Amino acid sequence: MALNEAFKEFSIEGKAALVIGAELPLGAAAAAALAEAGANLVLASQDPGTGDQLKELAKKISAMGRKAVVQVQSAISRADLSACMDLTVKELGALDILVNALDVPFFAPVEGTDDTAFERVIENNFKTFWTACQEAGRTMIQRGGGVIVNLTSIMAERGVPNATLYGAAQAAVLNLTRGLALEWARKNVRVNAIEMGWVEDPRSPAVNDEEFAKTLVRYLPEQRLLKPEELGGALLYLVSPAAAYVTGQSIAIDGGLLCRV
Amino acid sequence: MILDSFKLDGKVAIITGAGRGLGRAMAVRFAQAGADVVAAARTLAELEQTAELVRATGRKCLIAQTDVTRSDQVNAMAAAAIKELGRIDILINNAGGYHKGMGKPLHELTDDEWREGIDTNLTGQFYCCRAVVTQMLKQQGGKIINIASGWGLRGGKNVFAYACAKGAVLQLTRSLAVTYSRKNIYINCIVPGIFEGAAKYFQGGKFIPIGRIGQDAELGPLALFLASDASNHLNGAFITIDGGGLAGGISPTGSLPRQIG
Repeated sequence: MALNEAFKEFSIEGKAALVIGAELPLGAAAAAALAEAGANLVLASQDPGTGDQLKELAKKISAMGRKAVVQVQSAISRADLSACMDLTVKELGALDILVNALDVPFFAPVEGTDDTAFERVIENNFKTFWTACQEAGRTMIQRGGGVIVNLTSIMAERGVPNATLYGAAQAAVLNLTRGLALEWARKNVRVNAIEMGWVEDPRSPAVNDEEFAKTLVRYLPEQRLLKPEELGGALLYLVSPAAAYVTGQSIAIDGGLLCRV
Repeated sequence: MILDSFKLDGKVAIITGAGRGLGRAMAVRFAQAGADVVAAARTLAELEQTAELVRATGRKCLIAQTDVTRSDQVNAMAAAAIKELGRIDILINNAGGYHKGMGKPLHELTDDEWREGIDTNLTGQFYCCRAVVTQMLKQQGGKIINIASGWGLRGGKNVFAYACAKGAVLQLTRSLAVTYSRKNIYINCIVPGIFEGAAKYFQGGKFIPIGRIGQDAELGPLALFLASDASNHLNGAFITIDGGGLAGGISPTGSLPRQIG
């Protein structure tokens, strides 16, 4: 597709993108947005029950004329994540873009959280980001560069009762993003984050806790939850050459919630 | 189609400081993206050159000779935009910059130098926001993009009026976002690091993590993203575009000394 001069830096035509957590609402939306903008995709899931769902998404992406490869794994070990990088290079010929979208919500009071839960939350919501960035970074540096976007939430910026551990893991992702951006700034690997506000996600209390949801929606600046696909514009900005001078930053998509007292 | 959300077809954009440099580049880019442009600045001859470039894309350009530190002139600019082009969808508060007294220690700064710094870099943005919001409320929507600076977030040696004004621009942005978040008016802020205009003061930008000074052309895509529907639901956000500078800053170049390139 020939792009008008005004939009030329936003092109990611033919780029090779890996989305980890493509089975989740935000990951699936990220994959669809990248495909719409011209990228070929590897869709990675850590949930073995999501194979059919990912095949559907791959079909949708193929219908746009892009390549889509599905990788469903039963764990999120270093070996699995490293295999995702290798698969992307093998199937798509490169690893230009990584979107880390794995997210396992966890809401519980601190005094009722045991060590097993702690390990699990940190593993899912932080360690996976660490390992995936590390593996992708090594591949990207070796191949001459790339772009990483970590999807996290505005809970990284503020305390939220019963989301203390979840928010702490997300804050860790933000500072991982900053540190990696600096370490790799001269290696042509940009690392940024998107912090989502309250999203329509069946696993979120914003959807599955009726009483909380009612109060929340009245409180939100736009008085509605965000749709997963509403991250598309910011994602495309960050992964494309349009943001060549942007690294170590996060963009909040929250209707203005973080601005409030 | 996600790239369609970056288009500005049918929109009217006011760009201040449009007589040269970044403002002129944004005026041309916005016109290429489909917008009619109101080019505002103090120097008529420069505006005429900008207008010629805008009109060459096939879009309309209204020249509004305006000193943004004079509220009567700013109000006249908004009135002319409505009269001649029928609406105001976008405001880019680009006017501002260096002023007399920049680089002076506080005890040598005169009252006039302080006032000039605040008027040029804060009051002008306030006047412009105020002048367009009424029309945006009538139209039930709009986008305002304020330009701040890294000095709005961090202190600078002998940078007083400028840093205070730019810090206040961030707060102006937040409070506007909170106030109008239910009116479909989105107000966001670009936080540029060191760009071409200031290159001579910064030795080529070797200390910047990414290893270079930003090119003015790199601000255009960010302004377009924030002016278009692609950034809907971003509100009160600060997008830092600085080659990684503000992601670090507590060690030389943001990296450990052995990594200084």
